[in-house]
Amino acid sequence: MLAFFHTIAARIRGFLRPGDIESDFDQEMAVHLEMAEEDGLRRGLTVEEARRAARVQLGGVTQLRESWRAAWGLPWLDGFALDAKLGLRMLRRSWGLTLAGGLAMTIVITIAAVVFVFLDQFMGRTAPPLDQGERVVALQSWDAEAHRRRDVSRGDLERWGATLQTVEDLGGFQTIERRLIVDGRPAEWVRVAEISASGFRLARVRPLLGRWIAEADEHVAAAPVVVIGYDVWQSRFASDRAVIGHTVRLGEIIHTVVGVMPEGFAFPVNHRYWIPLRSDSFGSLKAAPEGVVFARLAPGVSLDGAQAELTTVGLLPPATAPPRGDARRPRIVPYTFAFTDDVERGELAWRQRIILFLVSLLLVPPCLNIAILIYARTVTRQEEFAARFALGASRGRIVVQLCVEVLVLSSAAGATALVLTRPILTQIGEIIRRFPELGGSLPFWVDFDFSWRAAVFVAGLSVLAALIAGLLPALQATGRVMPTALRSLGSRTGIPLGATWTALIVAQVGLALAALPSTMELAWGNLRPAGPGFPAREFLTVRLSVNPQSVPFDSRVRNLQAEVIRRIDAEFGASAVTFAAGLPGAEPLTFVEMEEGVPGGPRVRRYVRANQVDRAFFEVFDVSALAGRTFDGRDFGAAATAIVDQTFVRQVIGDGNAIGRRVRPVSAPRSDAAPWYEIVGIVPDRPANTSQGRMYVPAQPSARGAASPIQLALHAGPDPAAMARRLQEIGTNLDPTLRLETVRRLDEVYGETQMSSNLTSYALAIVTLSVLVLSAAGLYALMSFTVARRRREIGIRMALGARQGRLLASIFARALWQIAAGVVVGVTAALVLHLRLNIEVEGGWHIPGILPAAAIFIMAIGLLSAAGPARRAVRVDPTEALRDG
Amino acid sequence: MVDSESFILQGTLDLMVLKTLEHLGPLHGYGIALRIEQLGERALIVNQGTVYLCLVRLVQKKWIRAEWGLSDNNRKAKFYSLTKAGRKQLQAETENWERVAGVMGRVLHPQTGS
Repeated sequence: MLAFFHTIAARIRGFLRPGDIESDFDQEMAVHLEMAEEDGLRRGLTVEEARRAARVQLGGVTQLRESWRAAWGLPWLDGFALDAKLGLRMLRRSWGLTLAGGLAMTIVITIAAVVFVFLDQFMGRTAPPLDQGERVVALQSWDAEAHRRRDVSRGDLERWGATLQTVEDLGGFQTIERRLIVDGRPAEWVRVAEISASGFRLARVRPLLGRWIAEADEHVAAAPVVVIGYDVWQSRFASDRAVIGHTVRLGEIIHTVVGVMPEGFAFPVNHRYWIPLRSDSFGSLKAAPEGVVFARLAPGVSLDGAQAELTTVGLLPPATAPPRGDARRPRIVPYTFAFTDDVERGELAWRQRIILFLVSLLLVPPCLNIAILIYARTVTRQEEFAARFALGASRGRIVVQLCVEVLVLSSAAGATALVLTRPILTQIGEIIRRFPELGGSLPFWVDFDFSWRAAVFVAGLSVLAALIAGLLPALQATGRVMPTALRSLGSRTGIPLGATWTALIVAQVGLALAALPSTMELAWGNLRPAGPGFPAREFLTVRLSVNPQSVPFDSRVRNLQAEVIRRIDAEFGASAVTFAAGLPGAEPLTFVEMEEGVPGGPRVRRYVRANQVDRAFFEVFDVSALAGRTFDGRDFGAAATAIVDQTFVRQVIGDGNAIGRRVRPVSAPRSDAAPWYEIVGIVPDRPANTSQGRMYVPAQPSARGAASPIQLALHAGPDPAAMARRLQEIGTNLDPTLRLETVRRLDEVYGETQMSSNLTSYALAIVTLSVLVLSAAGLYALMSFTVARRRREIGIRMALGARQGRLLASIFARALWQIAAGVVVGVTAALVLHLRLNIEVEGGWHIPGILPAAAIFIMAIGLLSAAGPARRAVRVDPTEALRDG
Repeated sequence: MVDSESFILQGTLDLMVLKTLEHLGPLHGYGIALRIEQLGERALIVNQGTVYLCLVRLVQKKWIRAEWGLSDNNRKAKFYSLTKAGRKQLQAETENWERVAGVMGRVLHPQTGS
C-alpha cells in the first residue's frame, strides 16, 4: 500500500517536471549505449558493428522513451486534458448546442444549488458557529406517538440541571415579546430571550462591555437586569460606552443594562435582548422555536452517552395523566436540530436526500435533449471515431472522450451556476427576513453563503449531467458506429437514428408542448402587469394582537381589540376600516365543495381562497355586487351565507347561475365537513390579478376580536403615513400589552408577496424557454442528419430530374411525422395536466385557446429548424453527391 | 510465446533486479541488464531497455534508490542500490517464489517429492 502511494507521489512529481524526466532518460540511454559499444569493441567488433549491436540490444529508443514518459507521468490526466481541449473546440464549433444546452443546464444546476444551500442551512447544519459548537446540544421532551416536541416542565429542567453528569452548562430560554421604551422614545415591540445564566457560559462569548447575566440575577428578589446586543447598543444608545447602569423599560418593568454583547452574537436564536430566566416566570419551557433546554456535552462524552444518561433520568410524570399513557421520552439532539421540524434525525436526513434527488431529476429533461444533439453530432463524426478505433483506441477510450466533451459544457454551466447562486441566495435571505415570525433576522447559524459543500454538490451535478447527456449517445454511437463506420469509411452514407432517438424527439416535442400552456398561464398569472384592480396604495394594513404572554387571554383582550376598532371607527369613520381573517390577496387556501346542481349530479371540489370578513369589508374596498348582494345585517346572525367572486364562479360553477347554490369548506380533500353556505352575491375579483377563486363568509360577531392577531385594513386615502402615525398613538395610549404592528401599505404587502411567486415564475418561464430552444436545436440536428444521411439518394433523384417539392416532402416526411406525433402527445398531456392542476387565470389565456397556439408555435419551430437543412438538401450537387457516394 | 514470456517478466524481473543489487551492490542500468542477460541466457528479456522500465517502477516504489556517480572507467552513470524497504520486499518475494517453485516442483515431479 505504501509502495502504491510512493508511486503516485513519484508520478505526480514526474508530471510536474517533465523536462527533468526527459533529460534523465537521454543521459541514461547515452551512458548505456556508450558502455555497450565499448563492450562490443572489446569483443572485437568494428565501431560501426558495436554501435549497431548496442542499439539492437537496447531495443527501440523511441518506444522506450514513450514508455518511460508514461511510467513517470499521469497518462490519464494527459488524455483528459486532450479530451477537454477537443471538447472546447467542439463547443465553439456547435455554438447552438453550447448556448441552448448550457443555458438549460445552468438553470437547473442553479435551482438545485439554491435548494441545496437552503436544505443544508436549515436541515443539514448541526453545529452552530460557537466555540466547539458541535458539542452544544438541546434536550427535548419528545412525544413519540404524536411525533411532536412537547414543552419541558420547570421540574424537569431543574432536575436535569442537578443530576446530569454527561452535560454541563445546562439551562434554558424562552422568547417573550415586550414593549421596549428607552428614554421616553416611542415604544417598540422587541423579542427578548429569558435565559439561564449558564447560556452565556455555554456560548463562550465574552461581553463587549459590562457582564453576562449571573446566577444571582435569576433569584426572584434580584433587581431586573438586561444584556443588550451590539446593534441595539449602536442604534438605541449611540454606542455610548457608559451605557452600563442605564435603565430601559421592558413591558411594565424597569431593567438595568448590565452588559453589551459583541457584534454578531445572537444566541440562542436571533436575540438582541437577554433577561434572566426566573423560576417564577414559567411553568414549563415551550417547545422550540419559542423555547429550548440547552447544554454542552461534558468533555469526552458522546451524544449517545448523554442520551443514555438522560433516558435513565427520564421525565417527570405529567400533572394530569394522559388518557392513552405517557408517550413522551427525553431525547438529546444537536442544538440546531431542535429548531427544525417535528421529525426524528434519520427522517430529516432522508427528507433532505429525497428532496435533493427530486431536484437533481430536473436535470434529466434538458440532459436528454442535449443527448439527442450529441448523438446527432457523433453520427456525423463517425469517420473520426472509426479512424481512432482503427488506430487502436478502445471503445471505452472514445466513450470517455465524448463524456469529457459534454463535461466541458456541464462544467461551464456549473461554474455559471456558482456565480449566479450567491446573489439569488442573498435575495431569498432578504425575503425570508421579512417574515414577522423571524423578528427581522434568521437564526444566527443560518448563513446563506455559498459553502464548499454546495460547490462539491454543484461539481457532482455537473458530472451527473455529463454522464446523462454524454454516456447514452456515446455508448449508442460507439456500439453501432464502429463496425458500420469502418465498413463505410470514405462513403457518405451513414447509420440511421434509431428508435430510441425517434422516441426521445417525440417525447421532447411532447414535453415542451405539455409544459408550455401551464407554464405560460402560471407565469402570466404572476407576472402580468395588471394591478390589483383598486388603489392598494391608499390602504393600510395593521396586525392587531395582544401579547398573550403578558395577560391571560380572556374577555379583557376581546374588549381591548373591540375598543381599538371602536376608536378607529370613531376617528376615521366606519366606512374606512374593516377587519378580516386575511388580507385580500393573502387569504388562506381552503378546499371547498359545491352542492350538486342537479340531484345525483357530480360534486365539484377544488381549492379556493376563503376569507372571513366583517360587514364593512366590501364598502371599504369599494366592491359592489355584480349579482345578488353584499353582506348586510342578516348575514351576521345565524344565517350561513357566502359571497363569491367571478373567478370562483367560472372555476367552480361554470356557466350556471351561482346565486342560491350552496358551498361548504371541506377540511381535507377526502373528508366531509362543515355546514353549507348559500351563495347570495357575486363580486368582482379583489385583487384582480388572481388565479384562484375567492369565497367570503361573514365573520360572526363573537369572532370580532376573539382571535389574536387579526388583520385590519383601513382606507387611508392619499396620505397613509399620517394615518399610520395616528394608529400607533391610539395603540400606545390604550394599553401597553396591545400591539398594532406591521403597519404597512397594502401595495407594499402585495409587492413582497409577489416577489417570491415572481421568482418562481421567472424560473418556470426560463426553464420552458430553454426546453423550447433545446427542442428546436434537437429538431435542427435531426433535419441536418436526415439530409446528410440521404445525400447520395438526393443526388441520384436530382440527377434523374425529381421536382424540388416532392424531394423536400419525401425528405422531411419522417421528421414532420415525429413532430406531429410529439404534438399529439403534448396536447394530450397538456389537457390532462390542465385538468389535474386546475390552472386558469382571469383575464389571461385559457387552455382551449392556448393549446392550438402552442401547437402551431412548436410546429413552426420544427419547420424553421428544417429550413436550413432543407436549403442544403436542394442545393446538393448531383455529380458531387454521386462522386462522394 | 511472447505472451508467456511477458508473463514471466512481469513476475520475475523485479525480483531479479532486486536480487542482482543485493548480490552485487550499487550498479548502473547497463550492468544490471548485462547481469540478468548472462544469468537468464537471454531467455527472460527481449531487450535491455525493458530493465530501465523495471528500474523506474522500483525507484517509484522506493525499493531501490538512484544516484549519479562515477563508473570504473570514470564515466558518469546512474547507480541503483537497494533500500531498506527493497531488502524487505526482496526477502518476502524470495520466500514467496521459493514456496511457489517448491509447490510447482512437487506438482510436476511427484515421485521426487514423495
